[in-house]
Amino acid sequence: MSQSSDLPLLRKGATVARANDTVVIRHLRDEITLEGAAARLFSRVEARLNGQTPIEAIAENFSEKPSRLRALFDQLEKTGVLAFLSARDDVLVSGMDFYQIHRQHCAVWLEPVYTHPFWEKVVSGTATRAQVIGFAFEKYHYIEAAFEHMGIAAANATPEMMPHLARHFIEEYTHGDIYRKGLRSLFPDELILRSQPLPSTRALVNYLNESAQRSSFAYYSGNELLQMTENTDDERAGGAVDEFYDAMRKHYPYTDKLIDSFIAHTKADQKLGHADAFLLMCKSVPPLTRREVNDALNVAKNMAEHLVLFMDGIDTYYEHFPIVPRRACDLTSE
Amino acid sequence: MSVIQDQYRAKRVYEVTRLNGTAALRLSDRVVELGEREYGWYQKVVSWLPTVRGTSELSRELGIDEGKVPHFVEALVGSGLLYRVRVDDTNEKLTGLGFHSKFSGVLRSWLSEAFAHPFWERMMSGKGSARLFTGWLIELYHYTKNANRHMPLSCAYAHEKPIKQLRAKHYAEEWNHYHYFMKSLKALGFTEPQIAESVPLPMTLALSNFMRQAAHTDILAYSICSAVLEGTTTDRGTYNPYYQRSAELYGIPKEAVSPIYAHLDLDVQYQHSDLFQDILRHVPEMTSERASVVLSYGHQLVEHIWMWTDNIEKYYQIDSNPMPRRPFDIRVD
Repeated sequence: MSQSSDLPLLRKGATVARANDTVVIRHLRDEITLEGAAARLFSRVEARLNGQTPIEAIAENFSEKPSRLRALFDQLEKTGVLAFLSARDDVLVSGMDFYQIHRQHCAVWLEPVYTHPFWEKVVSGTATRAQVIGFAFEKYHYIEAAFEHMGIAAANATPEMMPHLARHFIEEYTHGDIYRKGLRSLFPDELILRSQPLPSTRALVNYLNESAQRSSFAYYSGNELLQMTENTDDERAGGAVDEFYDAMRKHYPYTDKLIDSFIAHTKADQKLGHADAFLLMCKSVPPLTRREVNDALNVAKNMAEHLVLFMDGIDTYYEHFPIVPRRACDLTSE
Repeated sequence: MSVIQDQYRAKRVYEVTRLNGTAALRLSDRVVELGEREYGWYQKVVSWLPTVRGTSELSRELGIDEGKVPHFVEALVGSGLLYRVRVDDTNEKLTGLGFHSKFSGVLRSWLSEAFAHPFWERMMSGKGSARLFTGWLIELYHYTKNANRHMPLSCAYAHEKPIKQLRAKHYAEEWNHYHYFMKSLKALGFTEPQIAESVPLPMTLALSNFMRQAAHTDILAYSICSAVLEGTTTDRGTYNPYYQRSAELYGIPKEAVSPIYAHLDLDVQYQHSDLFQDILRHVPEMTSERASVVLSYGHQLVEHIWMWTDNIEKYYQIDSNPMPRRPFDIRVD
């Protein structure tokens, strides 16, 4: 329950839409509709919901009863569109609370990945050969990079995170070979092993490496966002993935073995139960400070942006430079 | 995999211009003109070379007898479009300065590739915006500030005293150059905390992460990347038109552009573009294997610059995207 000294803040990124006598406020996937008096009250005070004005001062300013404002703000807070900033900054967040917050935000941050134009190009058959094979190569490079970031993470782990990170590395380091097997249906093994990732793929891997060196928990918060794209228990999402592979087989028959390897990898991941790994970690970490929460969520958000960049690279780079596989330079190639 | 596939590789083509039924392929040292039909054949060979498909498949695609394929491939070698991989490559050694002359021979082509992104044409033709210019400036600020994430690392991992010394001097001269961009951004109406507390785009961060990766790998891999970056600022003639034109087209105030000129002039004054050569003077010998790794790092940096430009354009062209980008904060977001 709010106090009169609390500083109400309409969350950044919240959108407010008005129609007739109704106000609809949305933030992430939360939404609240205010009607009549509540809608009018909100509209009057909206500009002051900046996290700098106490409830009491807002009430005085608009000649309103503080209790009436508190009732409205409490309702908005419960929906998630409004927060109360207080003088206290030492509130700890439990690992399990963090887990919920993380899932809620990651679902939104992942939306641009799921709606990336590259998927539609493959489904409609308008993607080029370089883009399609490039996609398989970049996935291979990203999965193969488990050696790097998971190795670095395990080697720099905090005591409570070490068993999780060690287990994850041991379970994942062979997965690049699943993709390599698919690529070998088209290219010689030596060439696959020595091929070069796109700068955008390298960006994703290096960001994982850097996070892994710096903070075990923040790294895994970011890694979990990536895992969420593989481990989905949502039937609709699973159906979309199947549809994507079916279309890929239809339009690009030469990718048959590649798709087999994609599916084999997803199954391997699901069998390992990675979907629960982050939950177990969150259960085992000590309560987190606001700084730690922000750090871990910023890494997750950045990871989502790097994942979009990864998709952009496949889509845009292979469109402009349709050379695949990408060989490293030698003294004569340039 | 056939013997041909094992022995031949395609040279990098930096640009293909199609005109009147011919295709002009620009390599680092020549332009090769092919007729439309020959260009089609060339493309088929280049796409077949790295695969596991047999020679018979290529001969079918080309519509020529299998026995004639080697002659055709040799003709492409003769024109400079393909090259033969030398088996004794790994034993070849070259001096540091010998390597520098190879690098100098391709730098111009590499820079043309780095700046071939349509963003530049868009900005110069008036189809850009002040927002794109400003976004690019913000990312330059972060990129320059992030030098502090990789330049000191390059000093830490340089094992030879003279090279350590040169890298350290470079760092000492560069570490605070982000102030120039801060000055420009303040002239565009931003406050210092707004910029200092903002977060870079992923590809801006990726540039410094890649430089960190290079510093860990080999001091020469790092130094070639640094040389490519310095290569972008050696000549006032290359960057002046962009700033002048942007200022005219998008109403960028003079106060926002002059600090950038001051920064670039300082780079020229320090002669940072000669640094790579100075470093390589201290490298008596390089195996061809090491030289290839170093060269690869240089070219990857070129690709990073292209992708960086793409990331800047994609993000800042959307008016609703925050500028500058603030970090996520659980209290307010």
